[in-house]
Amino acid sequence: MSAAPSLEIGKITLPFGEAFRIAMEDIRRRFIRMMITAASVILAVGFMDALLVLTAVGSAMGGQAASLKPFQLWILFISLLVCVVGIMNSMLIAVAERTREIGTWKCLGALDRHVLLLFLIEAMLIGLVGGIAGWFIGIITGLIYSFQPNVGIAGVTEALTSPSVIALPGLSFLPSIVSMLLLSLLIAISLSMIGTLYPAYRAAKLNPAEALRYEV
Amino acid sequence: MKYEYTVETEDLAKYYTMGPAIVKALDGIDLRVRRGEYLSVMGPSGSGKTTLFNMIGGLDRPTRGRVYIDEVDIAKLDAYELAWLRCRKIGYIFQTFNLIPVLTAIENVMLPMIFAGVPREERIKKATELLQRVGLGDRLYHKPGELSGGQQQRVAIARALANDPAIILADEPTANLDMKTGLEIIGVMRELNQEKGVTVITATHDLKMIDVSDRIVYLRDGKVERIETRREIAIETEEI
Ligand SMILES: Nc1ncnc2c1ncn2[C@@H]1O[C@H](COP(=O)(O)OP(=O)(O)OP(=O)(O)O)[C@@H](O)[C@H]1O
Ligand SMILES: [Mg+2]
Repeated sequence: MSAAPSLEIGKITLPFGEAFRIAMEDIRRRFIRMMITAASVILAVGFMDALLVLTAVGSAMGGQAASLKPFQLWILFISLLVCVVGIMNSMLIAVAERTREIGTWKCLGALDRHVLLLFLIEAMLIGLVGGIAGWFIGIITGLIYSFQPNVGIAGVTEALTSPSVIALPGLSFLPSIVSMLLLSLLIAISLSMIGTLYPAYRAAKLNPAEALRYEV
Repeated sequence: MKYEYTVETEDLAKYYTMGPAIVKALDGIDLRVRRGEYLSVMGPSGSGKTTLFNMIGGLDRPTRGRVYIDEVDIAKLDAYELAWLRCRKIGYIFQTFNLIPVLTAIENVMLPMIFAGVPREERIKKATELLQRVGLGDRLYHKPGELSGGQQQRVAIARALANDPAIILADEPTANLDMKTGLEIIGVMRELNQEKGVTVITATHDLKMIDVSDRIVYLRDGKVERIETRREIAIETEEI
């Protein structure tokens, strides 16, 4: 080889819209499994919201802002941790199962970050669903447990709709129930993303030859 | 006039260390593949066919030696350039078809074009044409699970051709198909090879491949055992 010619390298892209659509298809196809993954988010967020409702109703009766006791915070932290571990576990399985598919993606031109993007979009969607469902279930559960004859519907309504009982920094004008939704979504999506990051990173880093050889 | 080689390997070697043992999957392969050639790589199981396929396709790094694609040393490419090479220069066909299960036939064919940044309208038009070309004009919106093995392999061929690659690399494309379907797939590959002038390199156990190949490389224990030229036959069929 005398001369050293070079390729005219063009662009490689995966537009977000396309990635999103493919991630949706993946979720649809593996719906039941995805819902089981989402269940761990739902349980963790539901637990958090139930605790919040209980404290909110309690403190509305006492007339102060709600705050969790240290041991409640500790239990909450553990439950969130369990949730992340659960998600990581199921995402590791999902990645292993799709190893050959990832190898194929790379043969078609996917970059590492495209593989990462696909998994993270799926994680985000799981977090979204888990967050909303967890919020709903958490509030219902919290209400059932906090219901006492002396509280009454009016007291509970007051606790959930007044802006000050549970407030997010900078968003203290929102009714508590909306603040709880935002908090739930934030936590659910973060948990799901954190749990997915390591498996997705491993998937993205795979050498295509090895990925294609992989037997399930 | 100088020949133009699409693929060239120089002293290509790949060793795997398995504990104390070293497996020489490839051990010094020198190969030159002309543009438009249909090359079959034959050899017993474990002779290194898939490993060679991976090296030429930029799917793995060799232990020693070089691979040139269109005279470019692919060891010098970074991850982005390699992805571009896989997307634009090479089309892959596998024994197990490897379609993306959640996407329809036409979406599978469009995928490499998405990476290449082809506009949507053009993607649809081209993918439809390619699927019609391989005889699947009536299966555009079927998912892989709803297609037979032979049909899936046709989709894979259409997908491999999506970005008009210079090379098609096929690793035992007929191994999972019955005799008749295998012959059809070989026929389609040969036709496209002649129609589009795309270079085809295919690893195979399949003796049916011999008839359509311009050359046959026999591998054994990671080395080229012999090369058979079938140019006489190829010229004859062209003249008919
Ligand atoms: N990732 C790997 N790690 C260790 N050894 C490997 C690896 N890949 C291939 N080998 C070894 O290298 C040799 C060549 O393997 P290769 O897959 O290239 O053979 P092949 O000709 O494609 O066989 P087959 O016809 O069965 O597909 C074999 O001895 C195999 O065990
Ligand atoms: Mg093989």
